[in-house]
Amino acid sequence: MSEAVYDVVIVGAGIAGAIVARTLVAAGKSVLVLEAGLSAGMDFDKAADTYQGYLDTFYKASAKVPNAPYPDLPVAPSPSVMDVSQIAPGAVDTQGYFVQRGPLPFPSDYIRVGGGATMHWLGTCLRMLPNDFSMASTYGHGVDWPIDYATLRPYYEMAEREIGVSGEVSEQVLPGAGPDYWGEGYALPMQKLPQSYLDQVVDRRVGGMEVEVEQNRYTMRLTSTPQGRNSIPNPTYRRSEPAWNPTTGRLEVSPNGAAPYRPVGAIWDENIGERCEGNASCVPICPVMAKYNALKTFKVARQKGAVVQTQAVAKKVNIDPISGRVSSITWQRYDDPNGGTATTQEAKGRVYVLATNAIENARLLLASEACKNSPQLGRNLMDHSVFLTWGLLPEKAWPFRGPGSTSNFPTFRDGDFRKDFAAFIAPIDNGGWAWPTFAPDSDVSNAVNQDNLFGRRLRQRMGDRIPRQLLLHWEVEQPPLFDNRVSVDPQYRDALGNLRPVIDFQITDYTKRSFEVATAITNQMFARGDIRNASAYSPGNAEYVTYKGVGYSFNGAGHLVGTHRMGRSIADSVVDAEQRTWEHKNLFLVGCGNMPTIGTSNPTLTMSALAFAAAETILGDLQS
Amino acid sequence: MRLLPSRRGALRQQLLSRAPSMLPRHLQIQTVAGLRRHLQTAIELEHATIPTYLTALYTIEEGSNRAAAAIIRSVVMEEMLHMSLASNILLAIGGSPRIDHRRFVPSYPTTLPHSDQSLLIGLERFSPAQIGVFMGIEQPAPAGAPPEANQYGTIGQFYAAIELALKKFSTEGGLFTGDPRLQVRPEQYYGGGGEIIAIDAPTEAGRLDQALEALGEIVGQGEGVNGGIDDGDDELFGQQVEVAHFFRFQQIACERYFQPGDTPTSGPSGDVLPVDWRRVYPTRKNPKLADYAPNSELWRMTRGFNRAYMRLLSVLHRAFNGEPSLVAQSVVSMYELRDRATALVKVPTDSGENAGPSFEWMETD
Repeated sequence: MSEAVYDVVIVGAGIAGAIVARTLVAAGKSVLVLEAGLSAGMDFDKAADTYQGYLDTFYKASAKVPNAPYPDLPVAPSPSVMDVSQIAPGAVDTQGYFVQRGPLPFPSDYIRVGGGATMHWLGTCLRMLPNDFSMASTYGHGVDWPIDYATLRPYYEMAEREIGVSGEVSEQVLPGAGPDYWGEGYALPMQKLPQSYLDQVVDRRVGGMEVEVEQNRYTMRLTSTPQGRNSIPNPTYRRSEPAWNPTTGRLEVSPNGAAPYRPVGAIWDENIGERCEGNASCVPICPVMAKYNALKTFKVARQKGAVVQTQAVAKKVNIDPISGRVSSITWQRYDDPNGGTATTQEAKGRVYVLATNAIENARLLLASEACKNSPQLGRNLMDHSVFLTWGLLPEKAWPFRGPGSTSNFPTFRDGDFRKDFAAFIAPIDNGGWAWPTFAPDSDVSNAVNQDNLFGRRLRQRMGDRIPRQLLLHWEVEQPPLFDNRVSVDPQYRDALGNLRPVIDFQITDYTKRSFEVATAITNQMFARGDIRNASAYSPGNAEYVTYKGVGYSFNGAGHLVGTHRMGRSIADSVVDAEQRTWEHKNLFLVGCGNMPTIGTSNPTLTMSALAFAAAETILGDLQS
Repeated sequence: MRLLPSRRGALRQQLLSRAPSMLPRHLQIQTVAGLRRHLQTAIELEHATIPTYLTALYTIEEGSNRAAAAIIRSVVMEEMLHMSLASNILLAIGGSPRIDHRRFVPSYPTTLPHSDQSLLIGLERFSPAQIGVFMGIEQPAPAGAPPEANQYGTIGQFYAAIELALKKFSTEGGLFTGDPRLQVRPEQYYGGGGEIIAIDAPTEAGRLDQALEALGEIVGQGEGVNGGIDDGDDELFGQQVEVAHFFRFQQIACERYFQPGDTPTSGPSGDVLPVDWRRVYPTRKNPKLADYAPNSELWRMTRGFNRAYMRLLSVLHRAFNGEPSLVAQSVVSMYELRDRATALVKVPTDSGENAGPSFEWMETD
């Protein structure tokens, strides 16, 4: 293998790498993918057993966190939300994989496993809004993208086909989205997932109500959420998968010519998972693989000839000092995931693509001393700050059923208020109070230990309380901050001697003010809906902040964005508008790290759209 | 041999091009009403095998015998598809599938409806003997065996008689009078080992083609191509062809996969298919509600299972009689059946063997 020169070497077998690999092999290119995770995770002949193993591990885990089903490998460690705790001023927290320098701990995770973070994502597939691409010029915060929404739209359509998005376009009436947002007659591959009964109860009680925020009035209209999980195929959807046209130099799609869309089920049995069954463990793992993950794309890429090398940890991007081009990638093959010896090998290609994630891409480039003339490398790390409010409904709405979230309030995703406070989306969580209070377990232990209930009265309490739990998320935009960064420090290394990510993180008043706004909206909605507010924020929480003297807690969203953003010059960015690094002309970065702002969309769909665009550019480069 | 996606198009071609077999006139289906009755029987026939397959599947201990369980499961899903395809054909010729009536549910052990009564099928745990019964159910038709309109030696012969009648009556004109809106469509039916075929073409000839295609799907999946077993034709075992039901079960019986190059006479000679016949719940044969004292726990569990079964048949009946979108709801009942069945197989009875699902008809409110 070390002898071979591939057209393209891709580092990372997550969704961005999967899309690039699939698109390139479909165009006849040779592709090598290096994946740090265990070989079992990409062995599709044994996928049923491996996936059942993930499920068994998840079912037995006491803490059902996003990484619970998957192995944490000392040779290729992953951060865990279990490792997040408050950092004393001036201290450095090294207990997890991240070296956290604060002042706030960075509260999100990812997983280094075949399939990447799509193995534990929720599946929400929202396009960004047009003004998200011009935050600096429209609202005076953050930066503008070097591309606009209209440029990205055809790639969003490709991504929606690849992931298999279910949703109802006509219901997506979004702020700042004009008639061209979807385009005439556009449909998603599958019909919308049924909105939960909880959604319907909330809609009946508060849907369409007006709220007052800082002297302005807004309408809170509940909207179904498009998502990457299988539903009823849309009979009118006939778009083809993109195909490379060497004459035009474009990826082309036939809008009406393809066979009816067929949902892609489990990778080990196409007859399993063709529809979401409402199993409700979407994060982290769908028992029937009705939720998309990147293994589905890799299965096709493999069949078309992509070579995947697993247990392969990329160590260094090697740069030719004269041409400035990448000459190879040094990687380590391990046999024992706990450590021991690893053999070092070189992967060679004409083009190289880093497709790990925002933090690992930046870490690898910093460790390689690549892109060193881009002052933005590792900077502008972003996530959504998930502020939670929760209450007790006056009627039973039966949470803990269905996919994690099926509806959202899009009201504050865009508007003039973004000059003053950060935008946010407000999904309803179908999982009761599980996130903030560890319900329903905590309901039982509190009733037993504090209220001394047992027997029939205990059952009555549970039957009364748990079905009435309502949890709202307020997923708040974080603007790009130069000092929110990933760096490396030679004193912090993993079991293979690779540098660990060192993280500096904080949030500003622009984001915190939205917690205040969300609290005001919650109070008005709960008053109208006769919902008893139970929200409480402890100063002991890891992500505890104060704004105007009031305390708030938030959580990470797992939306890692911005560390190698695209822009107009090497001074303001790491990659150009085509996602090629400014410094190394045969090195592309893909993934959420390219996004200059995060907006209010879960970023996977945008990353996937950008990955198609990158694949198209790479095919053009290989041709010339 | 791994189960590869089937080359269904080619298989269908082969079936559709087959000239109507030599069949004495007195054995043919004589009237459209008779054809409808045969299609109703087809639905009942496809359904009748499902409880026996499911019982074996649910007696396998969780986490064990995964390959064998996957094979049984895949066959069950295709039987459900066949039942739905037969229903669509019946709807297309103006009939109404009847799924929620007493006679729809056999009392196990039973013979297959309209068969030559030589094969008794029961609700028994996963065992070599039961896999032998499954192979008997899916036995391919001997080459040249004529279809018989009354007593059928194999399911394939029975469908050949239906095929002949569809062609005959349609050619005479005006057979496909059913409302196309009643058809269960791919949007509604899924996960059943193939794609459902809606019979909704604008012309009589188009609908006949679709109906024959649906029939080809049933016969091609169930038994393989007629004659294949005796010819030793390795066509069936090429890289691209999904192994027919009979041969899939044969893989379990022989504890070995087929591989390319194998023929029906050679049997499977590929990788070992691991089977652990001991990791099975020791359930009693053909359990009945009446086996248990009224209101005992097992009585209540069994009745609960049968009620869930009735709910499933009821929702399917509505789905195939004007409310096709209800197919999605039936999935909930199927999971309920599984959960209740896997609870039953773990409970010992006084005889020392465990209980099991009884799949009995019950009057419901």
